[in-house]
Amino acid sequence: MAYLELNDISKLFGKTIAVENFNLQVEKGELVSFLGPSGCGKTTTLRMVAGFELPTSGKIIMAGRDVTNQSPNQRDVGMIFQSYALFPNLTVAGNVGFGLKIAKKPAEVIKKRVAEMLELIHMPDFGSRYPYQLSGGQQQRVALARALALSPDVLLLDEPLSALDAKIRVSLRSEIRSIQQELGITAIYVTHDQEEALSISDRIVVMYNGHIEQIGSPFKVYNFPETAFVASFIGTLNAFNADIIDPKTNTIQVDHIQLVTQESLGDRKVGDKIMIAIRPERLSFSSEQKKANLINCQIENITFLGSIVRIAVKSEGTHFYMDTFNNPFLELPKVGETVEITCSQQAVIILQH
Amino acid sequence: MTWFSKFRKLPFWSWFWFLLGVLYFVLPLYATLDFSLRMERGTLSLKAYEVAFSDPQFLNTFLYSIFLAVMTIIFSIALVVPTAYWIRLRLPQARRIVEFITLMPFVVPAIILVFGLIRIYSSPFEIPFTSIVIMQPLTNFKVGTNILIIGGYTVLGLPYMYRSVDTGMRTVDVRTLTEAAQSMGANWGTIITKIILPNVRTALLSGALLTFAIVVGEVVLASFLGIPAFGPYLFLLGQHRAYEPAALAFTTFLLTWAAMGIIQMVTGGQGQAAGAH
Repeated sequence: MAYLELNDISKLFGKTIAVENFNLQVEKGELVSFLGPSGCGKTTTLRMVAGFELPTSGKIIMAGRDVTNQSPNQRDVGMIFQSYALFPNLTVAGNVGFGLKIAKKPAEVIKKRVAEMLELIHMPDFGSRYPYQLSGGQQQRVALARALALSPDVLLLDEPLSALDAKIRVSLRSEIRSIQQELGITAIYVTHDQEEALSISDRIVVMYNGHIEQIGSPFKVYNFPETAFVASFIGTLNAFNADIIDPKTNTIQVDHIQLVTQESLGDRKVGDKIMIAIRPERLSFSSEQKKANLINCQIENITFLGSIVRIAVKSEGTHFYMDTFNNPFLELPKVGETVEITCSQQAVIILQH
Repeated sequence: MTWFSKFRKLPFWSWFWFLLGVLYFVLPLYATLDFSLRMERGTLSLKAYEVAFSDPQFLNTFLYSIFLAVMTIIFSIALVVPTAYWIRLRLPQARRIVEFITLMPFVVPAIILVFGLIRIYSSPFEIPFTSIVIMQPLTNFKVGTNILIIGGYTVLGLPYMYRSVDTGMRTVDVRTLTEAAQSMGANWGTIITKIILPNVRTALLSGALLTFAIVVGEVVLASFLGIPAFGPYLFLLGQHRAYEPAALAFTTFLLTWAAMGIIQMVTGGQGQAAGAH
């Protein structure tokens, strides 16, 4: 039995379906991210786990207990909010010790635990400060310490880094991940930032329009997207409608370009329509050895993006993006030049729908 | 740049309007003080103050009004804070209705309010269609009359208290703070007393100041309900004496501000609220 189970969860606001038939099992110590665009139902699902929203149907099982109808203060969850939500009238120590005080722990225990938590977030000398005296990153670290002070069953993080600047976001997400792994705490992390989700999650739940599109490890979700939405939402993607030319040899055609995929075409017949995707980084300039999936095209545009260079190419009416790693000695073709690009058979992914 | 914007940029005019405003408020106060010091002909003295303070009625009525003001403030806070909190948290659609209700004292004069109170609460409460009395008329006993006047004062102070508290709540993220506290095991009582109230402290203080000022000087409700409050005492004194009412009016002004200063000092050392920064 999983540590946290969401069984057939649905949530309606009036006639609007926010979440529908959501099923998820989270193991103890796992960090699962809910990833999706605004309005996909990820925060609503998190709020149902926290107890701030009641599911219209379905069950939530936490550490073996059915908590579906329990109020938030009866559930053993720690929550971190986008806006930090530190209590402005309390000091850092007061904030971190708030839950322990509510639980009527002895003053000595509270003091010791607060010191432990402040040590954990590398802010041992900040106990007497007020939230307004801290930066955004520091406030969010205090919020993390506050949520962890009670050793909750599940830690819930609702876009905790969205209000921070890029550099702090990267360092704080590593800190959150290392603390979560160090304490072995089960966590659910809501974000719309794919890089954030890919970098810190054990598994990602990609959501769209209240549904789960795909659940899998970051590696699997990125490299083997199951749906057109997942493929388009995570990373940059070349997606095309294709016709099946020969199911036996897995040959398909995109406009005039013939491609071979390693994925099985199953029961599909000649002339059937499918949707395929190729990641830009899986395309490269053709060399003598590579002759499969060869595409003759013209350079349209070259964009320097720091560590990578994105090249837009056109093959008659079909447009592709191709990424190549930047290096100081990189020799790139010029705009308008004709080149041959290629990709492996594994790079041609068939999307389910 | 137009002549009007040039005119507006002159610091002289800013100062002129500011000083005009100050004079408007300070001159009557100064006139009252000056008049109160001229009881003895040809010299400035504190004679009017001596006479006014020697009357035991002064202290009795003033303390009584302070008692009523404190009770009104406590009752107003108990009524307004949870209401404003709940509207902000769960019932935003009710805000317009509540705002309309809180503005009623500006429309309905105090004289109407007091007659309404007397009309309803001067008869015994009976179980409908029986003659079983469940409560004697509130106007028949002292505690009952005090309850009536505190209720009346709460209504009169409602526009100020509600507006102050609602504005205070706007400066803090009530919903998220509530959810954060709930996720740490806090119940509603703890959330209101430990999180919401301290964070709207400044707003409560301004609401309390206005309520205090209203109650201490109020005449109509106290007169018609027969309450020995400071307002009616000052009114009666003004009808028979010349200098003492001026002395008392000035003293009341100072005492009111002193009382609020004490409240500020007492509540000032408990950490800063979000809205204060």
